[in-house]
Amino acid sequence: MDEIIRINHITKEFRVPDRHEGLRGSIRDLFSRSYHTVHAVDDISISIAQGEIVGYLGPNGAGKSTTIKMMAGVLEPTSGEILVNGCVPYKNRTRNAQNIGVVFGQRSQLWWALPLVESFRLLKDIYQITDAQYDEMLALYRSLVDIEPLLHKPVRQMSLGQRTLSDILAAFLHDPKIVFLDEPTIGLDVSMKAKIRTLIHELNRRKNTTVILTTHDMGDVDALCRRIVIIDKGKMLYDNDIEHLKKFFGAYRTLKLRVKGDLSEQAKRIAAELPECSVSANENWISVLVNEDKQKVISVLSQLQKSYDIRDMQLEEISSEDVIKRIYEGGVV
Amino acid sequence: MKLRKYFALTRAGIIESLHFKLGMFVMVIGNLLYLILVYFLWRSIYASAGGGSVNGMTFTDTLIYLVLATALFNFMEMYTVWEIGRNIQSGKIVLDLLKPMSYRRYLFWSYSGGFVTQFFATFLPTFIAVTVLTHGAVPLGINLLWFALSVVLAVMINYSIDFIVGTICLFTESIWGINIMKQVIVLLLSGATIPLAFFPDSLRKIVDCLPFQSIYNAPLTILLQADPTPAEVLPTVAVQLLWAVGLTVVSSLFWKCSLRQITVNGG
Repeated sequence: MDEIIRINHITKEFRVPDRHEGLRGSIRDLFSRSYHTVHAVDDISISIAQGEIVGYLGPNGAGKSTTIKMMAGVLEPTSGEILVNGCVPYKNRTRNAQNIGVVFGQRSQLWWALPLVESFRLLKDIYQITDAQYDEMLALYRSLVDIEPLLHKPVRQMSLGQRTLSDILAAFLHDPKIVFLDEPTIGLDVSMKAKIRTLIHELNRRKNTTVILTTHDMGDVDALCRRIVIIDKGKMLYDNDIEHLKKFFGAYRTLKLRVKGDLSEQAKRIAAELPECSVSANENWISVLVNEDKQKVISVLSQLQKSYDIRDMQLEEISSEDVIKRIYEGGVV
Repeated sequence: MKLRKYFALTRAGIIESLHFKLGMFVMVIGNLLYLILVYFLWRSIYASAGGGSVNGMTFTDTLIYLVLATALFNFMEMYTVWEIGRNIQSGKIVLDLLKPMSYRRYLFWSYSGGFVTQFFATFLPTFIAVTVLTHGAVPLGINLLWFALSVVLAVMINYSIDFIVGTICLFTESIWGINIMKQVIVLLLSGATIPLAFFPDSLRKIVDCLPFQSIYNAPLTILLQADPTPAEVLPTVAVQLLWAVGLTVVSSLFWKCSLRQITVNGG
């Protein structure tokens, strides 16, 4: 497969002025000029092939958006090199722009007061899309989603879901080689999320568009990504198949219990009894995450049923959500 | 084909501004109130000066000048600084930077639709009203062509100044103070609030060396001249052209250098 993005050991540092608190501190800040350096991205290397969907994950403030902005050419890396489609993005920003599409979940690139179709026509002229290409793309869109009711609706009257859908369509309109989706399903309802996942999946398949997806919703990852990259505090933690990740954590299983008495009270007692496991509770279940390398689920269960009245139980394989939570929380990798 | 993407932005701008009917209505009313204020202010100035002409301008001259200056202001003011500042604070600038054209052009053409609607909504009606009410105090002839050329140059100069000030917002991350300062300086030194003829000589000399007078004073002077010969007009236009080219280069360079400093927060 052809490589479309290559990132070699990039870092990005921001110089942030030190701020002091309170009135006196603020006055001092007027005159002081001290800075500290924040390493937003610290030595990351990735290579992405044409047509891949890569889930780019990390807790808030991990440096995901910074990396994306560097790939898009809006930020210049402090060191290291990036090649997107064979050129350096920050040096050829306008040329690079022709090859990429971007959706930021919280803001829209569409023209607020205009019906969607006007935004599309505008993008058609801005990106110099030919009539044939434009018609073909709209036909494809029509076959994938019901866009007729959206086309003639001003963007400001759209619901968040409709707007996000429209933004994704707009980002793919000029048939870019790469589309960056930054939290595209944020704040959407279940059915809209499903719709958007199908749409992204289909566009990726039909157009062989590379998709870089950042999200906090593991549903997105499970539905779309074969490969995931996890970063935290600017450092790369993981870059491999999602399957591999699950195998890696395969020894973990979640035991879900319903016992007599107040669940959260009981959960605290169980946590004290089982220092090896992580225990949490919601209104229906107590979840016990068991590492089978250290302790068998069966032995945990038999230990618990001596002192608790177990009403119901389930055994679950670890979900990607749990895996990622464990990676974020530090520990295992 | 090359120009098409720019005109597409103009077209969208026109449609967009036509959507806000109430906004346009309010602007016309506000404009009218301002003109009434100007009328009474200058009438009392002339009354206290004992009538006749002050600094070589009669009351009618001054009034025509100021009314047209206001109309020109409504037409030329693009609120670029606000827009850049807002985009920086909200982070929307990232999306604009990712369009396949330079930000400077993108912003200009996005607002060019406003020129067109403002031209028809405020400038043209005001101009016609003034022409009719003063019974031909505004000459209608070759000067209109020169005026059109002069306005185009004025728009370029005005935009470049706005863009430079907007770029400063990248560093300060605040808009209000800088923009107000810019507005006051431009409006005063360009002759939009007080005709330059009223300035004391020493100040006038300084103002003549600055780009601001090319924005309002130059086109208005040309407009109010009956049948100017090219020799009369060319020096003014040449100065404008010089400023337009110079400031375009400066503002583009300044933006390019500044963009490297950009730190778009969050997102």
